[in-house]
Amino acid sequence: MNEDLKKTLLNPIFKGNPITVLVLGICSSLAVTVQLKGALVMALSVIIVTGISSLIVSLLRNSIPNRVRIIVQLVVVAMMVILVDQVLRAYAYSIDKQLSVYIGLIITNCIVMGRIEAFALGNKPIPSLLDGLANGAGYGMILVIVAFFRELLGSGTLLGFRVLPASYVPNNLVILPPMALILLGCIVWVQRSIQKDLQEK
Amino acid sequence: MNTNNNVYTVIYTTVIVVVAAAILSVAAMALKPMQQANIKAETISQMLMAAGLTDTDALSRMSNDQILSMYSEKARAAFIIDAAGQKTGELNTEVSDIELQDNLKLENKNIASGNPSLPVYVFDKDGEEINVIPVYGAGLWGPVWGYIAFNASCTEIVGAYFDHSSETPGLGAKIKDEAWFRDQFKGERVNFSKPDDSFDIVKGGAPAGVKDDSQVDAITGATMTCNGLEAALDTWFKAYMPFLMMKAEAAAAEVCCEDGCQEGCQDCEQTNNETVQEG
Amino acid sequence: MEYISLFVKSIFVDNMIFAYFLGMCSYLAVSKNVKTANGLGVAVIFVLLCTLPLNYLLDKFVLQPGALSWLGESFADVDLSFLSYILFIAVIAAFVQIVEMVVEKFLPALYSSLGIFLPLIAVNCAILGGSLFMQQKEFLNVGEAATYALGSGIGWWLAIVALAAIREKLAYSKVPAPLKGLGITFMVVGLMGMAFMTFMGISL
Repeated sequence: MNEDLKKTLLNPIFKGNPITVLVLGICSSLAVTVQLKGALVMALSVIIVTGISSLIVSLLRNSIPNRVRIIVQLVVVAMMVILVDQVLRAYAYSIDKQLSVYIGLIITNCIVMGRIEAFALGNKPIPSLLDGLANGAGYGMILVIVAFFRELLGSGTLLGFRVLPASYVPNNLVILPPMALILLGCIVWVQRSIQKDLQEK
Repeated sequence: MNTNNNVYTVIYTTVIVVVAAAILSVAAMALKPMQQANIKAETISQMLMAAGLTDTDALSRMSNDQILSMYSEKARAAFIIDAAGQKTGELNTEVSDIELQDNLKLENKNIASGNPSLPVYVFDKDGEEINVIPVYGAGLWGPVWGYIAFNASCTEIVGAYFDHSSETPGLGAKIKDEAWFRDQFKGERVNFSKPDDSFDIVKGGAPAGVKDDSQVDAITGATMTCNGLEAALDTWFKAYMPFLMMKAEAAAAEVCCEDGCQEGCQDCEQTNNETVQEG
Repeated sequence: MEYISLFVKSIFVDNMIFAYFLGMCSYLAVSKNVKTANGLGVAVIFVLLCTLPLNYLLDKFVLQPGALSWLGESFADVDLSFLSYILFIAVIAAFVQIVEMVVEKFLPALYSSLGIFLPLIAVNCAILGGSLFMQQKEFLNVGEAATYALGSGIGWWLAIVALAAIREKLAYSKVPAPLKGLGITFMVVGLMGMAFMTFMGISL
C-alpha cells in the first residue's frame, strides 16, 4: 500500500508529467510564466485546487448521479477556484492582479478535470488527494522551470532581484508569448532524450 | 441505492449547488472588507506616489492602515468637478471614512458623453499645494491608468504614476516599472492652446532637457501602450482643461494683485475684499 | 469602424492561441489533420459566438456590482461578481449539452462530423477565457461582445487549421527522435506565434 502511495505521489512529477507527457493543462500555464513569482503562486493555486477538488469528488464518488457527473465536478472545481481567487485578492492583491483571468482559467485546466475523471472517481479519498497534489506539483514544476528561464533571460532578475550584471541586455524576445512555447519544446526535448521510452514514432 | 433516478438527481444537484453557493457567499462576505481595503490602499498609494509624497520602497513597508492615515494627514481636500470645472461635491478625507472617486472606467465613458464627475485630490507637500488628477484609457491588452500631480497653479506637472492591468511585462509594463518614464513628466506642462492634443509621448524624439514642450519620450518596443497612454492623457486633460485653466488664471490673477496692477484682473477686488474681511 | 477594428484585432492581435495560449490542450491534441481540425475550429467559433453574448448579458444584468438594480432599489448594492466563474462555466456547460442533444436529434449528419468535439469544448479554455476577457474588457453593448466572440473564434480556427496543415507536412520531415510529436509541435506553434506578432502594429 505504501509503495502504491509513493508511486501515486512521484509518478506525475517526472515520468507521467501532466504537461510534457500527457499534454494536459497547457492552456493557463504559459501566460503566467513571464515572472517567477507569478508562476510560483499559480503553481501553488493549481496544487491546492487539484488536491482538494480530487478529495471532495472522491468523498462524493458513490453518491454522484452519473448523468450530472460533469456538472457536479465543475461546481466543485469552480468553487475551489473562486475560494483561491478570493483569498488571493484579500491577502496577495498585487499577485492576483498580475495573474488576472488565468486564476479563473484553472477551472478549465484539463489537469483538474482529467485527474478527477481518471482517478478520483474510482479511488479512496487519501490516494485521490495525493494524486491531485502530485499532478498539481508536476504541472507547477514545469511552470517554474519555464518562468525561471524567462525571467532570468528576459529581465535579468529572479523573483524581482537582479541576478545578472547590469551590463546584461535583457532579451525582449524571451518575454513575448511565443518563447514560452519554444522553451516548453526544449524541456520536452531534454526529457525525452533522457527517457527514450517516451519518444513518439 | 439507485443514483440514477430523476428525483434523486435533481435533489442531489440542488443540494450541491446550494452548499457551494453558501460556502462561497460566506467566504466572499468575510473577505470583502480586506479586498476593498487593498483596492483603496492601492489607489491611494498611486496618488501619493504621483504627488511625490512617498516612494515604492517606503510603501512596501507600510500596512494598508498606515497608507490610509498618511492620505488623511496629507490631503487638504478632495472634491468632484463637472465638465465646466465647477465644484459639485466634496469627498471625505477623514481616515475612518475615506471617499474616493475611483471608478475611472465609468468616468471615461461619462467624459465621452459630456457629463463626467471628475475627482480632484488636493495634497499638502511641505506647505505647497499639489493637485492630483487621474487619467484612464486603453493600452495594448487592457486598460492603462495613472495619476498626474500638478503644482498649485496647475501649470506644471510635478509628478506622475502609471499602472496597467495586463501590458506585456518588460515592454508596455515599463510605464509602471521604470522610474525614468514617470520622472520625465516632472516639469512638463499641459498645452492649453491645443485642447485636443495637449500632451505627446514621442517615439525617440522628445528633445532632451526641454521641459515645457508637453512632450516626453516613449518606451522602445511599447508603441501601442504609449499611444494608448497618450490618448488617455489627451482625453482626460481635455476634460479637466476648464478646471486647470481656472486654477492657472486664478494664480496669475493672484500674482497680479500682489504686484498691485489693476487692469484686467476681475478677481482683484474680490480677493482684496476677502482679505479685508478676514483681517 | 469600431466593430471592424475590434474584429480584426481579436483575430490577429489578441489571438486566443498565440497571445494568450487559450485552448491549448485541444489545440495540440486535435491538430493532427486538417479535416478534424477544421471541425473543431468551426465548433469553437459557434460555441464562442453563442455563449459569450449570453455571459455578457448575465454579467451586465446579474453579476456586476449594482447590476441587479433593475429589480428595485434595495438590490442596488448587491455584488455577485464572485459568482462569475461558476455561472460562466455553468452557462457554457449547459449550452454545450443542449446543443449536443439538439444536433444529435435533428441534424445527425452534422452530429457525426461536429458532435464528437462538443464535449471537448465545455472544458476548452478558449471558451471560458473568452468570457473572462469579455468581463475584463468591458464592452459597451452585446454587439461588441458578439464581434469579439466571432473574431476570437475565427482566430482560434485559423490557428488550428494552420497548425494542422503544417503538421501534415511535418510527418514527412526528419525530426530528431526526442523532438518528434509534442516537442516539435510546441516549437512550430512558437514560430507561428512570432509570425503573428507582426500584426501587433496594426492600427485601424
